[in-house]
Amino acid sequence: MAGAGAEEVVRQALAHADGLYNFARWLCRDPLEAEDLVQETYARALGAAQQFEAGSNLKAWLFRILRNAFLDRRRRSQRAANPDSLEETGADAEPADGPTSELEQGQIRALVADDVASAVRALPEAFRTVILLDLEGMTEPEVASVLGCAAGTVKSRLSRARALLRERLAAYRPEPGAC
Amino acid sequence: MDCGRARELNLDGQRGRLSAEATAELQQHLSTCVRCRAHAEAERVLSEVLDSLPQHAAPLALKRRLAERWPASLSGTLPPRRTWVPRWVPALATAAAALAIVVAGSTSLFVEQRAALRQLEGESVNDHLRVLEGAPLARVTGGLHEVKPWSGGKLDFAPAVRFAGNDDFPLVGGAVEPFLDRRAAVFVYKRRLHTASLFVVPSEGLAFPPELRTQTVRGFHVALWQDEGQGYALVSDLDLQELLLLQSLIASR
Repeated sequence: MAGAGAEEVVRQALAHADGLYNFARWLCRDPLEAEDLVQETYARALGAAQQFEAGSNLKAWLFRILRNAFLDRRRRSQRAANPDSLEETGADAEPADGPTSELEQGQIRALVADDVASAVRALPEAFRTVILLDLEGMTEPEVASVLGCAAGTVKSRLSRARALLRERLAAYRPEPGAC
Repeated sequence: MDCGRARELNLDGQRGRLSAEATAELQQHLSTCVRCRAHAEAERVLSEVLDSLPQHAAPLALKRRLAERWPASLSGTLPPRRTWVPRWVPALATAAAALAIVVAGSTSLFVEQRAALRQLEGESVNDHLRVLEGAPLARVTGGLHEVKPWSGGKLDFAPAVRFAGNDDFPLVGGAVEPFLDRRAAVFVYKRRLHTASLFVVPSEGLAFPPELRTQTVRGFHVALWQDEGQGYALVSDLDLQELLLLQSLIASR
């Protein structure tokens, strides 16, 4: 990544700032931490620029760096809080994938974005990530490139994540009188 | 096609990522399988509610920092040229460069601030025109307590607006509309036959002036100010004095 080509890569990379920041906000919630994470992502990308192959997917590469930076931070804070703690992957949760009734679908549709956002935030990280990357418009191969796994794994993880989300949203009951 | 395969392809089908042949097979299966049809509908509803999640745009200040750092870092990786120069030249060059940076920096900052203000004013007028042209509004008949249902869930901040309208300036509606890189809460007030639109957004990264500033843009009066992290843009073809009266009602605590 050098010369005129490098300038073009920089321009393209900066065009993903909104998507990266949105992803960071959903991963870590805190706006300042999200900003730090995005800055760290670009710094890491610059440091690893030689590893980036021209013609490969720049967006997926940047999202992968951001997710790794997020996981590194989380591991560090977990170790600091509890050196013996086991890492939560969460992807082992097995939701029931039965059909949702029409009544439950009506309830889901009636939820406001705050409720949906809470349900997304409450998902295990592995599930939350595939949901967010899918919302970002990435294809399964792109998500696989971010996560460093096979596209088939992404398909099955996305399916389980959505099933879990449907299950939780269908069970959600807004507080009476809330507006 | 069996149920397992149908569910596997369902999402791709809803997103138009399947071939015509696979789409037809999937539709054929759905037309005969009640459980898979219910599953497909549940997936569609989930996609619908997920699409309503707020998107967080990167603050402009962050974008500026990134844009400033990246090209600088790249040029810093180039090998330095070695040519002979008198010893005093670097010092003089450094001083001149520093002076140039200060002068150019302050000038460009001034130009940049004015450009940012003009952008805010222009955007406010454009959005006001959308309101006048009939952008969908939630009609308000009972005051501000009706605001939450239409803004709730669509914004990642709570607009700090307490003026619920009065006989002179009734509050007639509200909406959530795009405003530059973020979403704005829109409050629409009336004054006789005139319409005044108030746009409220988080002010971070935008050039909202700390003190009230008015400007006339394309025949509309625009009042901009900020308070406690929120930026306010009030736009109308009202007489300026009347607009300022409305502004004082909105800004009063």
